[in-house]
Amino acid sequence: MSSIELRAVQAAKVVDARGSACPGPLLEAKKAIGSVPVGQTIEVWSGDASTKNDLPKWAAKVGHEFLGFLAGEGYDRIFITRRK
Amino acid sequence: MENTKKMLVFCGSDDAHKSFPPFMLGCGAQAMDMELTLFFTLSGLNIIRRGYAERIQLPGAPKTLPEFLKIAKENGASFIACSAAFPILGIKGDDFIEGVEYGGVAEFVSLAEEADVVLTFC
Repeated sequence: MSSIELRAVQAAKVVDARGSACPGPLLEAKKAIGSVPVGQTIEVWSGDASTKNDLPKWAAKVGHEFLGFLAGEGYDRIFITRRK
Repeated sequence: MENTKKMLVFCGSDDAHKSFPPFMLGCGAQAMDMELTLFFTLSGLNIIRRGYAERIQLPGAPKTLPEFLKIAKENGASFIACSAAFPILGIKGDDFIEGVEYGGVAEFVSLAEEADVVLTFC
């Protein structure tokens, strides 16, 4: 998804994991995705540099859809849609 | 689940740099739908002794060790205490946190044989 498309995404839940180092953001993403209906998107904020690489791998493994990420001021916004 | 992948971690030290990775990687594996078993032996047994995990600290880690123990357990991890190491540490094995099972060499070997991933920290 392009950054313009990502900016238009309405997340059902925003998870602020900026204070948490790996694997904190992953654990928070896992918890959050279970709290939204299938087809809805979560947005994870992380200041940990590896999260934008880690979450797509997690999503692919467990069957969710990684839409992409936007670089924020000192953190990344990562978008994942629940698919199961 | 039949297709669930299994991770087994050998926790053989209470050094902070060796006590945290089993949980950081193990909880990550659980988040990725893997089944986690942690096998504690030698000084690694201290991790699951009542009141000990609090003393093992790693500044900068995302969670404390007691928090990691709780998360792993809540997500269904098995904790196995190696009874062969009790006399080495001079403990009886009756002061572990709740939910710890006892196992020996045969238990570890059979778990290792069944596991898809085995990690060792000692």
